[in-house]
Amino acid sequence: MRRVKIFSGTSHPGLTEAICERLGTTLGKCDLKKFSNGETSVDIGCSIRDQDVFIVQSGSAKANDSIMELLILISACKGGSANKITAVMPYFPYSKQSKKKSHRGAITARMLANLLTVAGVDHVITVDLHASQMQGFFTKPVDNLYAEPLLARWIRHTVPNWRDSVVVSKNPGGTKRVTQLADVLKLNFALITTDRRRKEDADQIPGNEKMITLVGEVRRKTVLIVDDMIDRAGSWISAAEHVKLRGGAKKVICIATHGVFGGNCLKEMEDCSCIDQIVVTNSFPIPEDKRKGVKKLVTIDLSQLLSEAIRRNHHGKFIPHYLVE
Amino acid sequence: MAANSIKLLTGNSHPTLARKVADRLGIDLTKVLVVQYSNQETSVTIGESVRDEDVFIIQSAAPGEVNDGLMELLIMINACKTASARRITAMIPNFPYARQDKKDKSRAPISAKLIANMLQTAGCNHIQGFFNVPVDNLYAEPSMLQYIRENFDYRNAVIVSPDAGGAKRATAIADRLDLNFALIHKERSRPNEVSKMVLVGDVQSKIAILVDDMADTCGTLVKAAQTLKKHGAQEVVAIVTHGILSGNAIDSINKSELGRVVVTNTVPHGEKKKRCPRLHTIDIAPTLAEACRRTHNGESVSFLFSHAPT
Repeated sequence: MRRVKIFSGTSHPGLTEAICERLGTTLGKCDLKKFSNGETSVDIGCSIRDQDVFIVQSGSAKANDSIMELLILISACKGGSANKITAVMPYFPYSKQSKKKSHRGAITARMLANLLTVAGVDHVITVDLHASQMQGFFTKPVDNLYAEPLLARWIRHTVPNWRDSVVVSKNPGGTKRVTQLADVLKLNFALITTDRRRKEDADQIPGNEKMITLVGEVRRKTVLIVDDMIDRAGSWISAAEHVKLRGGAKKVICIATHGVFGGNCLKEMEDCSCIDQIVVTNSFPIPEDKRKGVKKLVTIDLSQLLSEAIRRNHHGKFIPHYLVE
Repeated sequence: MAANSIKLLTGNSHPTLARKVADRLGIDLTKVLVVQYSNQETSVTIGESVRDEDVFIIQSAAPGEVNDGLMELLIMINACKTASARRITAMIPNFPYARQDKKDKSRAPISAKLIANMLQTAGCNHIQGFFNVPVDNLYAEPSMLQYIRENFDYRNAVIVSPDAGGAKRATAIADRLDLNFALIHKERSRPNEVSKMVLVGDVQSKIAILVDDMADTCGTLVKAAQTLKKHGAQEVVAIVTHGILSGNAIDSINKSELGRVVVTNTVPHGEKKKRCPRLHTIDIAPTLAEACRRTHNGESVSFLFSHAPT
């Protein structure tokens, strides 16, 4: 592609390389360092005047450093007279903080959207925002890409007897996302609700799991538990245990777009006997040391989706409905 | 109905300074719950109502965790904004990215400007800090002058600027103390690296007081001290506003010709002080507290530009 430069933040160089390869371009030269006082330094090593710049940056174990790096990169490109700056954020950090959850809590995701605009971004490409309403946070155009077709394809190709499986949402909030996948695959659907109100009483009586309710039939079926993000293991494990031990499911596969895996989450899920497989995309980098010894994990490559979005954006082609929301 | 009052909040970067300021103002720090999630995202909850209050948030840039500190500040400002605070003032004793304040080569970012814009976007009405480009700026200079008067035989001293850019700052101090002034000119090839040094002025058998706004790896100060000793200075001391002291700074100071390094507590350095007996502190909490009080009451802040509160 002509007049395009693609830069990578330090969070996910592997994904950026894969994108560049698919687009048949090379990565723009840029030097990212930290000064000894901890400040981020950016040095763009090639001309970007009048070019379309795409900056690929996901979240990482150092979330705030990644964000600052992205903001400074955008600002540097703006100052360097780039024609159009697009932030490609496969995982949008702070997307869980998209509403005021407690009194006097911050809506950090909205603030981050504003910060991107202030830094000088012209366009944002992201994948499966935690809440699609978040698109309204941006004053610049957003493409919220769908990982769902990729997940559906993986299910069709790899899950044996996938026609005989059930898609399960582990909380009522995610039902809409999950029913979409069930519709695409023409599968049945079940729902798990956890009554937080009753949890306090249940905690006093050990072994009481009454606060978890399963709506739908999963007996002797393969269960696909779907959500947008795996961050903490707790709810996944209790959902898996519930469908398998109480519901009598044959096999449990946990599927999510973003494998954030905070803390020991991946290890805990690996050790859970009720979970048979964990499927995520490579939107969020998973460090080698966390991956070590984990056999249940499957990652689906997003570079095809992202590179196609970049290519179509650059050429001004429309993005078909099955790619964006 | 509750009167509009000062609410002082602090981030995790420099709680001791914030507590000192709160003590000076005779108020308690407002409770804030700052947690880092397991995925390293920062979450902030303000523990008590700030509705219609005058909010001041103290956050410095602790070396090593600048970006975490900054995001924490931004989220705190945003939380106060959405919690209907009447006015939010960020007090940033040491403004992060202050050195990246110009486009010094092609395609270099002006990060300092970006940070200022970001603070505004988060919901900040007012920024106060010891900062070296004209924003709403406080000066540590009065406190430094006071320190020099009280701790040195200053009539026998020369004020030295370790680089040409700091000459204005050093001459201001020299003028106020009615002292002579010298300048070291250096050729800098890359950041955090120092090459040749040339001394302009006379320091023979005098106390040379190096004045600078920031000491990071201390390479400049150490080299400057050597140069000054070579030119016959009796004693060399350094007075610096922001003691970031990252990397090997402490070792460098311990091995150097610097008899004393005086920094303000805009950046936390309690731990480093234990490893370096030559490190001394000027407390700037009174200046911050006074600025806070004056801002709240709508009094002039410029008084503080020339006077150290007692």
